[in-house]
Amino acid sequence: MIGASDGGSVDTLGEGDQVVLTFPARGDLVVLARLVASAISTRVGFDIEELEDLRLAVGELCLLALQGSDDWHGDLRLEFTVSSEALDISCTSGGAALAADGRGAEGDEADQLSEQILAALVDEHGRVQEDGSVRAWLRKRRKGPLE
Amino acid sequence: MTGRGYDAPAHVTEVTKGEESGRPISGAARDAMITDNLGLAHQLARRFLHRGEPLDDLVQVASVALVKSVDRYDPQRGVDFAAFATRTIIGELKRHFRDKGWAVRASRRVQELYLELGHATSTLVQQLGRSPTVAELAVATGSSEEAVIEAIEAGQGYRATSIDASENEDDPLAARLGGRDLRYDAVDERALLAPALAKLPPREQSILRMRFVQGLTQSEIALSIGVSQMHVSRLLASSLEELRHHIGADTAD
Repeated sequence: MIGASDGGSVDTLGEGDQVVLTFPARGDLVVLARLVASAISTRVGFDIEELEDLRLAVGELCLLALQGSDDWHGDLRLEFTVSSEALDISCTSGGAALAADGRGAEGDEADQLSEQILAALVDEHGRVQEDGSVRAWLRKRRKGPLE
Repeated sequence: MTGRGYDAPAHVTEVTKGEESGRPISGAARDAMITDNLGLAHQLARRFLHRGEPLDDLVQVASVALVKSVDRYDPQRGVDFAAFATRTIIGELKRHFRDKGWAVRASRRVQELYLELGHATSTLVQQLGRSPTVAELAVATGSSEEAVIEAIEAGQGYRATSIDASENEDDPLAARLGGRDLRYDAVDERALLAPALAKLPPREQSILRMRFVQGLTQSEIALSIGVSQMHVSRLLASSLEELRHHIGADTAD
């Protein structure tokens, strides 16, 4: 665990804990998503390699939600949910709509690359349209049981 | 390349359709696949920036991985080449960091930055007459604002291993002294160490911490601060000499 010199100096997050971050849908603010992902990964007990995977993956998740959206002026809502076997993260772009083929009107190649990167970094991922919003999600499983 | 994305090389698909299953792609088709996907390798390498590795090195690792991807790719399996190559290249990039012991070094880097921030904050408070902003700290330490925020956040857990812990009976600093650096043996009173260290210039303090607290080799320190190993050796020797001088003076008082 990053920074935990004695195993007890960093607060932990456990099963059922949820963290929600909402921020303006701007590329330069994706840094917020990465920072929160980093802090949560540490507290969930992921090692530093998994943490870096998640930082990278969360960035791609935000890109997917943005690219799949026709609204770059709304908010992005990130939900981190801790369970005993995994960390689930979803990114919702409010008020957006996916194209009929499930891809954004622009940036198909960028979408594809983001999805390919997610496939290499996390256990499961996807993107759906729900209640008029675009939601990109991922699941990163733990190597071991919840501490 | 278009916009933020990656252009899948359309003609590659045409070329690979002609290949037979199990036969490696070779000749002009192989060259074309490699050339047309160098952009993908470059884009993926860029995703791994800010981990202390130069982009050129990352691009090289990604490019070698791309060649492996082409050689291992079997078009008859129906898997999209870009997806296959992405997975292979990311795997190789991650292996590259693993092989270099990156996880340990990354922890050290955050730890070092946290220590640097302490010095930079003190200096900037004196210069500015107020607390510095994160942006100012980022400039002062040559880091990104994100790295500064992360170091501050992560640094909370590093306190027990900082130099401040040296007055503890289980002092990790003393525990790690050894070999040719046993000159510290002359220091009987560990309480003298912290104030004596504080009299050294920030860079020398930082080097001593890297060597004796974090256990970095002279070569690793040289890499970290951008000087030669010989220069680090000289700085260590002079810093230790100065430390001994301060401790001797304090003892004499």
